[in-house]
Amino acid sequence: MRPKVWDEMYEAGDIRSHYQVFFDSLSQSTSDEFTLKDELAKKLFMNQGITFTVYSDGEGIEKIFPFDIIPRIITAVEWEHIESGIKQRIRALNIFLRDIYHDQFIIKDGIIPASLMHSCPGFLREMVGVDVPFDIYTHISGIDLIRDGDGSFFVLEDNLRTPSGVSYMLENRNMTYRIFPGLLPRNNVRSVKDYPDLLLKNLLGLANRQKSEPTVVMLTPGIYNSAYFEHTTLARLMGIDLVEGRDLVVDNAKVYMKTTAGLKQVDVIYRRVDDEYLDPLIFNRESILGVSGIYYAYRMGNVAIVNAPGNGVADDKAVYPYVPNMIKYYLNEEPILKTVPTYSMDNPDHFSEVFSKIESMVIKKTNESGGYGMLMGHAVTEKEVAAYKLDVEKNPRHFIAQPIINLSSVPCFLTGKVQPRHVDLRPFALYGPQGIEIVPGGLTRVALREGSLVVNSSQGGGSKDTWVLGS
Amino acid sequence: MLSRVADSVFWMARYMERTDKMLRALRTSYIASQDEMQDFDWQLWVDGLSAKSTDSIEVNNYREALNHLILSTHNDASVLANIVRARENARSVQDYITKEVWQGINEYYHLIRDPKTQDLLLKNDPVTAFDQLLRESVLFYGTVDITMNRGEGYIFISIGKYIERIIRSLDILELQMLEIEKGRNEAMHWKYLLYSLSGYEFHTKHYKNALQMDEVIGQVFLDVQFPHSILYSLLQVERYFKRLENISLPEYFREMEFLLGRALSNLRYNSRRHNDVVEVKGWILETRSEVKAISQKLATLYFGYS
Repeated sequence: MRPKVWDEMYEAGDIRSHYQVFFDSLSQSTSDEFTLKDELAKKLFMNQGITFTVYSDGEGIEKIFPFDIIPRIITAVEWEHIESGIKQRIRALNIFLRDIYHDQFIIKDGIIPASLMHSCPGFLREMVGVDVPFDIYTHISGIDLIRDGDGSFFVLEDNLRTPSGVSYMLENRNMTYRIFPGLLPRNNVRSVKDYPDLLLKNLLGLANRQKSEPTVVMLTPGIYNSAYFEHTTLARLMGIDLVEGRDLVVDNAKVYMKTTAGLKQVDVIYRRVDDEYLDPLIFNRESILGVSGIYYAYRMGNVAIVNAPGNGVADDKAVYPYVPNMIKYYLNEEPILKTVPTYSMDNPDHFSEVFSKIESMVIKKTNESGGYGMLMGHAVTEKEVAAYKLDVEKNPRHFIAQPIINLSSVPCFLTGKVQPRHVDLRPFALYGPQGIEIVPGGLTRVALREGSLVVNSSQGGGSKDTWVLGS
Repeated sequence: MLSRVADSVFWMARYMERTDKMLRALRTSYIASQDEMQDFDWQLWVDGLSAKSTDSIEVNNYREALNHLILSTHNDASVLANIVRARENARSVQDYITKEVWQGINEYYHLIRDPKTQDLLLKNDPVTAFDQLLRESVLFYGTVDITMNRGEGYIFISIGKYIERIIRSLDILELQMLEIEKGRNEAMHWKYLLYSLSGYEFHTKHYKNALQMDEVIGQVFLDVQFPHSILYSLLQVERYFKRLENISLPEYFREMEFLLGRALSNLRYNSRRHNDVVEVKGWILETRSEVKAISQKLATLYFGYS
């Protein structure tokens, strides 16, 4: 019997009340009109350069970031639950990061095993004892949520290092008012356009110098990075310089950017370069994306880096099962959002149990992203399972398993027809000196292949506009 | 402004101006080849517009020539190659140009890669294709003018545009002089030169002995009313450069100011005879060399080149 899938739009054959207004307008359009809207969306995406770039023969090949025109709608009550749950989670994770890089009480009190921490690739010894401004480590977080068959929200994953996708959230909204004029106000959809302003406010607040206009920059790996569109969009919307590693230089423990008028000191860096490539003097010596000496300037307190280095210890998939315990331990609260039951593959009992019911399990690498390196137990052959099992046996610490959850589905307009596809949701949380703010909505990612549960864009996923309704 | 960004917007402008100039020249050449001349020398243009001798190929007709000069991905100096470079430069500085400018270049890129454009150029009516492409070029200039604030980005775009304009005007003049040396109708080639530089109508209105060498050379080099003249363009470079004074290191500014002043003096105050082929050729070489030196010095002082 097929496991139940929560349909975001339909309930027992009827339209859910919060989709009614949209459904009524949808019924007034013909299939041809919808096709025209879909084509308009593709053209707008292409013309505005909202694409992935695949480089071949020295010339960029543009691939449109797939966008489905039918929005995903969330009620005000549902959003309130999500928002409070994410804020609780972010608070706990920040306290955890502060603790793990200082006194490590959570280890000493036996909540988390020390071996787990010290075997995390994301744990940076270089961050031990380093005080960060306002004790904030996760200034920008993307928390991936899914819904199970009963409609409950689960946290699937925390993204605390360089979460991406917010630019598509902003552009998707811009597409929607072009494709469905008048529908946004009629549905009382809450705005997302404040995100860049909120982020900039937080970044400015992190500057150390007593200066009325601190210099904030965004550090990008450059035009060959698949998320480059997002880097340029955010830099433009915030009015900050988009720099590459070669534009910066460190002198006397301060970071400067090379300008036409000479060197200019930088106060805050919103970096989209991974920890490993940040400073070749400290981390990967072959990195040409980072800046030599930047880590020294950071430890001296002369520049703020967002997100803080070393957050990988908190969003490692092997640490994920302990987050509810962190919430209880640090906040003395019950977790608001559920987490998916998780099995550690370096636990022999878990290992046996998982492979005994592999057809209902998914196994993931703890430090991988983009949907790569996973085994979806229901969609593989015995041979593939056997081969994967060997990999897990070689290094069990680097794998976790979870039961396959049938993600909720939303109608999508594909090849001229409305068809259901599985989705998840990535809201973006901003943590600044004044607290945590979450822009209402986020990025709904959709698995465009029929039956697929993998929503990552690198694996054929697309996105939708996400509407959070006002109360 | 970041040195790297200044470099990118400068070169974005240079590639866009280069594209515009090439398209205008090729449009004129194509019409010339259809209009009067049965044995139009496309090889001369292919050799002349190739950046390096290895970029040139042997061509037998207009289709092969236009394909090589406009659409070829194997020719480093083709119009397509220039638009790709302009776009890549624009892509890397999207936070410094406006969204409209970026979209304009992006649409230009998609237009030239559109199979319909290629069909027009190679199988149907090339003039329609030229006009469509040139319209995007004009749109780019208008978008820059209307949407960009008059900060450093705009200044470096303007300097790049006019430096490239000087160099390309000289190249096209040189090519037409080569045609004339082959014993062809001199007046006709001066006419084509002026059409390539969008200066023919101006010439007929302002010069009585129309299409005489000394007057054409005078217009191309020294007429400040003519926006594609060398003197007008160099004055614009100086005009925009002076706006950088407040943000420049004084020694850098003085060095550039000296080079520009000297180039302008050499242009204005010389006793060259405009109807002497040898002297004019020398003038072309000297002016081109001076302008390239200005560009290189700008790169060293402002873009961080060593």
